[in-house]
Amino acid sequence: MGQLWSERLRRHQLNQFKYLRLIFNDNFMLAFIVLIGALGFWYSNLLGTIHQTLTFGKPIVIVILFLAVQVGGIATLLEEPDSTFLLVKEKEFYKYFRSAKNYSSFMPVVTVAMVNFLLSAFASRGAGLRIIDIVAIAVGLIVYKLGSLNINLLELYGRDKIGNFKMRLVSNILLLVSLIVATYLFSWTMLIVAVLYYFFLNARVKTLETSGQLQWKYAIETENQRMFRIKRFYNLFTDVPGVTSKIRRRKWLDWLYQPIKKNPKNTYLYLFARGFVRNNEYLGLFLRLTIIQAIMLALIDNFYISLIVEMLFIYLVGFQLKPYFKEVMQNLMQRLYPIRGKTKIADFTKLSTAILLIQWVISAIAILYKFGFGMNSLIIIIAGLAVLIFVNYFYMPRQLKKYLD
Amino acid sequence: MTLEVKELTGGYGQVSVLKKETFTVESGQVVGLIGLNGAGKSTTIKHIIGLLTPRGGQILIDGISLHDDVEKYRKKIAYVPEMPILYPELTLREHIDLTIMAYGLDHDKTWESANQLLKTFRLDNKLDWFPQNFSKGMKQKVMIVCAFMTDASLFIIDEPFTGLDPLAVNDLLNIVENKKKAGCSVLMSTHVLATVQDHADKFVLINHGQVRADGTLDQLKAKFNMQQDSNLDDIYIKMSNEDL
Repeated sequence: MGQLWSERLRRHQLNQFKYLRLIFNDNFMLAFIVLIGALGFWYSNLLGTIHQTLTFGKPIVIVILFLAVQVGGIATLLEEPDSTFLLVKEKEFYKYFRSAKNYSSFMPVVTVAMVNFLLSAFASRGAGLRIIDIVAIAVGLIVYKLGSLNINLLELYGRDKIGNFKMRLVSNILLLVSLIVATYLFSWTMLIVAVLYYFFLNARVKTLETSGQLQWKYAIETENQRMFRIKRFYNLFTDVPGVTSKIRRRKWLDWLYQPIKKNPKNTYLYLFARGFVRNNEYLGLFLRLTIIQAIMLALIDNFYISLIVEMLFIYLVGFQLKPYFKEVMQNLMQRLYPIRGKTKIADFTKLSTAILLIQWVISAIAILYKFGFGMNSLIIIIAGLAVLIFVNYFYMPRQLKKYLD
Repeated sequence: MTLEVKELTGGYGQVSVLKKETFTVESGQVVGLIGLNGAGKSTTIKHIIGLLTPRGGQILIDGISLHDDVEKYRKKIAYVPEMPILYPELTLREHIDLTIMAYGLDHDKTWESANQLLKTFRLDNKLDWFPQNFSKGMKQKVMIVCAFMTDASLFIIDEPFTGLDPLAVNDLLNIVENKKKAGCSVLMSTHVLATVQDHADKFVLINHGQVRADGTLDQLKAKFNMQQDSNLDDIYIKMSNEDL
């Protein structure tokens, strides 16, 4: 079983590595660095404005830390055929899951530590916590998270209940209460509770080795869902086989396509417009990037950073529309239509122009809100328009051509 | 409408699956394309509809090749693939609208025939459904409706009978019969020999990427030295045994 786990892990990591390499390409790195930089800039500006302890400082710290502990669960790497082929080995799966838990501890621990580290500046300034308190709470949370990973294991065996209550619920209430007590009264509470909690759950998990009955269906479904979430994330940047996005009818948006006349020239516009609005993936991407951009522009009052954010995000949305064109071009039936490739690209350009124009208008409003009517606003807004024109009429047509056949 | 396949050589990648295939489909003819799995039926069809480019030889529809006039060539063909291919984001109604737009068909007239076909296949109350809600057989019916409502003159159907319920098979055969009466041609590949024997005028037997024999049932019997009462099944088995 140990061997099975290491084999699976090796294959999994190889796979992840393949996708990560594709994601961290030049474009993404650039966006990522700017995003981090802008957020850091905003955060330090924010800290600069805090001169005394805020009344809602502690609640904010509590909420953020509570959410940080929720991140991450156990990656079991179970596969569908396991429930048929490895059914006889059920008893030995306990060992397998122990290895899985050890491996899965890394990410959540790093997350909790990082969040604590980044939050510490605010916690000491805005919430008035001493450094020793912050460290005690951070260590307590890490131990707590290590303990709560056991709940994932108990769930796999259908043993995640205390009396009539779900363990996850009880555990979260305990966490919240401990956090409140730790921040307001006595910071060591978190650590003490966490250690007790950790030992309690570890003892519970030990009983699984002898008397546990693995819930195969639940275990495999949970892992599938986890994988799907990861793949869907990767799919935003690159093509992941087997990931199909959710389709929603969105009848209330039908008016959007009304201006598209039903004639042969508009065949592809008809198709692209509906596809974009109904496919959660591309619409979601557009909305997320547009909203993040608008929020950043409304908060940052540095001319150069705003300029970069405006240009970069318009480029990014345009760039990320490419896979949608590719997806449609992979449909065999459309390749048989008596319609030329040039028309397909022209129709796609119409769609992407409409999308980017919406984004541009929204970002322009955010810029005007922050900088007012003036030269700075004008320069940023025109720069955005220039990127829009460049992406749609120079960059994309060349890029899309290679997807035609 | 005549389809001429002349000395067609081609396939995927570097390997030539098809070696100098030659056969014709005449106006008003229903032709059955028959062969073992992997014999080259689907590959032949993919060359005719223009998804693959021939490495040698020619494919002409009414004397023009895909190369001569892409749009004119494509308008003459309607294709029903073996596995249904639909747009996940479009409803059934929108699939029909899109096909009408793509082929530049008359909106009202085409909808009339589409409605008739939809009724035949009991899809007329599912116009607002998405492909993900359809079963495989229903998807296949959608493909059939979208193909047979066009004014194409050559209908190419890949394995139409597997996956359809018996009633739908019967309906499809009626539709094929009507198209034939209207002077259109139909080329279908299939393994359901008993059905195709009764409904096709001519058969093209493909083996190892070559046309082993073609002609009417009687002509085939003569070629394979078979008895008068033998059927397509017997001929098929005889052809397959030639390899042994």
